[in-house]
Amino acid sequence: MSLTRRNFLAWAGLSAVGAVSCAIPRKEQELAIESPVRLPEDLVEGLDNWYATLCRQCPCAEGVLVRVMEGRAKKVQGNPVYPVNQGKQSVRCDGGLQALYHPHRLAGPMQRSGPRGSGQFQAISWDAALAALGQQLAANGSGMVLATEPLRAHLGLIAGRFAQAFGGKHLGFETLDQVTLRAALESVYQQPLLPDFDLAQANYLLSFGADFLSTWLSPTRYGQAYGQFRHGEGRKERGIHVQVEPRFSMTAANADRWIPIGPGWEGHLALSMAQVIISEGLQAPGVNINAITGGKGAAALEPFRPEAVAGKIGLPEGLLEGHSAADVIKELARDFAKHRPSLAVGGGSAGAHSNGLFNLKAIYALNYLVGSVGTAGGVKFNAGLPLNELPSNASVGSLADWKKVAADINSGATKLLMVHQADLAYGLPASVGMVQAFQREGLFIASFSTFLDETSAQADLILPDRVYLEDWGSDVPDPAPGYPVLGVQQPVVNPLSDYDPRSFGDVLLAVAQQQGKAANLPWATLRDALRESSDKLFALRRGSIRAGSADEFWRTMLQRGGWWDESAGIRNVAAPSAPAGLLAQIAGEAAAPVFSGPEAESFHLLPFSHNSLLDGRNSHLPWAQGAPDPVTTVTWQTWVELNEHKAKEMGLREGDVVKVESAAGSISGLTYLNPALPPDVVGIPLGQGRRHGSEYASGRLPEESSNVMDLLDGAQVQGSGGLAWAAARVRVTATGTSRRVSKFEGTSMAREIGETPGERIIHITSPSNSGGH
Amino acid sequence: MATERIDHKWGMVIDVDRCTGCQACVVACQAENNVPMNTPDRFLERRAYEWIRIERYWEGEFPKVKARFIPILCQHCGNAPCEPVCPVYATYHNDQGLNVQVYNRCVGTRYCINNCPYQVRFFNWWEPQWPNTLQNQLNPDVTVRSRGIMEKCTFCIQRLRRAELALERQEGGRINDQNLAERNLAPACVAACPTSALMFGDQNDPNSKIRPYFEDANTHSERERKTRGYRLLEEMGTGANVIYLKKVEQYPLKQGESHG
Repeated sequence: MSLTRRNFLAWAGLSAVGAVSCAIPRKEQELAIESPVRLPEDLVEGLDNWYATLCRQCPCAEGVLVRVMEGRAKKVQGNPVYPVNQGKQSVRCDGGLQALYHPHRLAGPMQRSGPRGSGQFQAISWDAALAALGQQLAANGSGMVLATEPLRAHLGLIAGRFAQAFGGKHLGFETLDQVTLRAALESVYQQPLLPDFDLAQANYLLSFGADFLSTWLSPTRYGQAYGQFRHGEGRKERGIHVQVEPRFSMTAANADRWIPIGPGWEGHLALSMAQVIISEGLQAPGVNINAITGGKGAAALEPFRPEAVAGKIGLPEGLLEGHSAADVIKELARDFAKHRPSLAVGGGSAGAHSNGLFNLKAIYALNYLVGSVGTAGGVKFNAGLPLNELPSNASVGSLADWKKVAADINSGATKLLMVHQADLAYGLPASVGMVQAFQREGLFIASFSTFLDETSAQADLILPDRVYLEDWGSDVPDPAPGYPVLGVQQPVVNPLSDYDPRSFGDVLLAVAQQQGKAANLPWATLRDALRESSDKLFALRRGSIRAGSADEFWRTMLQRGGWWDESAGIRNVAAPSAPAGLLAQIAGEAAAPVFSGPEAESFHLLPFSHNSLLDGRNSHLPWAQGAPDPVTTVTWQTWVELNEHKAKEMGLREGDVVKVESAAGSISGLTYLNPALPPDVVGIPLGQGRRHGSEYASGRLPEESSNVMDLLDGAQVQGSGGLAWAAARVRVTATGTSRRVSKFEGTSMAREIGETPGERIIHITSPSNSGGH
Repeated sequence: MATERIDHKWGMVIDVDRCTGCQACVVACQAENNVPMNTPDRFLERRAYEWIRIERYWEGEFPKVKARFIPILCQHCGNAPCEPVCPVYATYHNDQGLNVQVYNRCVGTRYCINNCPYQVRFFNWWEPQWPNTLQNQLNPDVTVRSRGIMEKCTFCIQRLRRAELALERQEGGRINDQNLAERNLAPACVAACPTSALMFGDQNDPNSKIRPYFEDANTHSERERKTRGYRLLEEMGTGANVIYLKKVEQYPLKQGESHG
C-alpha cells in the first residue's frame, strides 16, 4: 500500500482505535521513539570521550570536562572532582565551543597592510611572522611591554621570564581591576593570596557590593556554596543573605534583604556596625576588643555612631518603615553579630570609589569582631602551591601602570608592545590615552589574539593563539579553595584544517630560543614546562594523586584535570590575629567618596560586568550575547537602567535612546525601566560597543551598542591606585529616537506564562514552614 | 545484554529558593540540544528558543522590591494538555513519564503550543541555520529540527538513552542519581546548575533524592505537604513530572535567636 495522504489519515484513525481497545502494556515490544535519528534497541551509539581541562571564558578558570566525538568538541560540563567548581559550570563555560568553531576566527598570521587601525591585513607565513617578531625583539626588546590577561601558573611564569630576558616588563590587564580588593585584603588579613570565603557554612552573609553570584571573583564556586548555604544537606537553618549595594545586581536580587546604600558609603556603614557591636558587647567570645581598637573600645569609632552616620549614607526613606536610619544600622549590626557564623564580604562598586580602599578595609575588618577569620563559615586562607616558581596570583597592572605604559610609548622608551588577550584599546578609560599612544611613529604592536578586537585591529602583526580547547595550559586558582590546587589544561581537539594557530606559550618559548634569551626558559614547549612540574609534584608524594611512576602521575593528572592537596589546607595557614589598633587605624582613614562630572541633575554611574559577556571578552559569542541578563532580560544590546518612576518623570519610555554624558565623554544606550534601581543611579553593563572583529559583536548601531568605559575619566582609588570605576556622575538626556529592546521578558503571551501574576507561579513560604526540605 | 527494559519514571525537582537566575542552565541546554541560535531578531519577534528559561517576576517597588527567578521548562505532564490535540500523534506520553515529541510525525499544526499552559513549546518558523564552522559543535545524538516542526525540552532523552544502554543493557546495573551524574548523563541543565536548584531522578527509584517530593506531592494537598513542593499551575490538573519547591521568605527574622 502506498502511503498517500488519504491512506495515512485512515491509518492514523485506525491506530487510534487500536490504541484505545488494546490498552494492554506490551513494554518489551514497544519502540522507544524520540526522534528520527534514533533507531530501535539495537542501535550502536557513537563513542564519545570526556576530557578534563580548564575553561578560560572567565578569569576563575573552572575545571571542565569536554565531550569529544569524532574529533569534534560537543559539550562542556563542570569537572566534578575539580575543587574550585565541583562539577558545576557558569553561563559562560559552553561558549568555549563557539570560540573554537567560530566563523570569525583568524585563520593564521597576518601583517598590517593598510594604515594603523584600518583593520586591513594580509596573510603571511608563520616563518615570516616569527622572523618579524624576532627582529623587533632584537631591536626593541628593551623597554618592551608584554600585556596579557592576568596570568597565573606556567604561562605567568613564562611571560614574566620572557619579558625579563628581553629587558621589558610583563603586565596583566583587568578592565575592572581587583587591585584595591587585593590591597584591602592584604592589609586587613596580612595574607598575600586571596582568601576563600566559606559561604556554605555561614549562617549570615553580608555582602557589600560583591556580585558574587554573577561575576565577582569565582562565581560558580560561590554559587555552589550558596546552594549549600540555603538548603545544604545536614544544615539546620537556611542561611540569611543581606546585600548592601547601590545597584540592584543579580546578587542583590537573590538576597533576603537588599539595602540600597548611597554609592561610596559602604565603609561608613561597616564601621557604624562595628561601633554598635562593640558598644553593645555583641562581639564573638574571645575577641580582644582592646587590641583591635588600640585600647579605646567603642570610643575609637565614636564618629561612626549610627546617629552620626545615618544621615550621610543615603538609606532611602521607604526602607525604614517608620524607623530611623540609625535603627536600621543597629538592627543590621545585631543580626550580623547574633547569627554566627557570619561573614562579611565586599567588592565591586564598594571598592571602586575614591575611598574604595577604606570601604573594603572597614568591611573585611568586621569579620574579626564576629570571630569569622580563619574559621568555618568565615574567611579561610590559602597557602599557595608547593612549587614556588609558579606564580599563585597574577601581577596585575594598576591604572598608574597603564598610564606609564602610554607615556613610555609616547616618549619612545617603549617601541614594542606585545598583547595577548588584553584589549587595552577597548578596556582602558579613554583618558589613559592608549589609543592615541598607538599612533606613535615607530611603535610596533604584535598581537596574539585569536579574534580581531579593538587592540589587535591596531596591530602591525597578528600571531593568532590557539583556543584553549586546543592548547596546553595550567592554573593556580586565585582565590584557591582553601588548599593548593594546580589545574591542568590539555588540548582536547586539534584545530580545524582551515585554521593555523600557534600556542602563545610555545611561540614565546620559540622566539626566546631563536634570540638566544632562553637561559631561564629551558622548555621547548609549554607542555614540557607542565610535565616538569608534574614530575616535581610526583616527587613530593602527597595530595590527590597516588602514582607508582612519574608517567602514571602525569596521566592521572591529565585525567582528573589537575592536582590538589586538601590535607595542606587551613591547617598550614595560621589564622591571622587582628593587627593591633586595626579599627582605629581604619577609622582614621575614613573619607567621603569624591565624584567627578556634573553635580546638578545628574546620576551616579554604576557600570557593571555583564553576566555572560563580562568585560566584553565574550562579546563575539552568540550564546553569550543571547543569554538574557538575569535582572533585565536584555540581550545583544547596551541598555541604560533607570529607576522606573524617575524615567517616567523625565518622559522616558523603554527603548528610548538616551545620551549619557560624563566629564570624560558620552555614549548612547536604550532606556530600560527598572523598578528596583535607586532614583539617583544609572546602571550600564560593560561588554558591547565594539567597532572591530566578529560581526556578532561589532557592526551594530552605536545607539544600541556602546562601551561604558568611554564614560570613565580614569579617577583612581586613593591608596591602591586601582581604577575608581564607580566614581563618575553623568547626565542622561533623551535623544528623541527610540528602538525596540531585544529582551526576553514578554509583553505578550509568547514566552512567559502570560499575564499570570508572579504569585501564582512562585509560591512563597516562611522558614518555619520549610522544614528540613 | 539484557532485553527487558527497566521501568523508569523520570522527574525533576526545582528548588526556587536556590535558583539565582544565573542562566547557566539555559546555555547548557542550548549547547546540548542543537537549539537554534537566538539572534537579536528572535528576541524582537518574541520568538527566542529557550527550552529551559528563567522567568523573572518583579514584586513591589523601590526600595522594598524583589525580583524572583524561576526556571521553566516542559513539565512532562502526566495528563498533558498538548497530547490529545495533536492530530498525528507527534506528541505522546512514553512509558517513562516523558512527554515526547516525534519530529518526523509533526506536521506543524501548532495545536499543542496553543494548548500548553506553560508556554514551553517552540515552533520552527525558519530553517535553523548555523555558520559552517559552528556546525562542528552540533550534538550528533540530537536531531536538528527543520522548519515547520515543533520542538521542546526532552529531559535530554538522548542522555537517558545512553544511560540505559551503558548502565542497564551493557553493564546490567540500574540508573540512579549517582551514576547519572558520574557518567555525565544527567540532563544538561541539571548538570550545569551551580546551586543544585535543579535535581533529576527516577521516581521509581526508592533512593532517588527527588522521590520524597513526589510522594509528598502525590499524596497530600499543597496545604498539608511536609515539603515545600508544589506543581506549577497545579489547579489545572496537568499532573506535572516537575515539582517546584517554594521560595522561602526569611524576613522578619526571628528575634533573639543565636546560632553561636
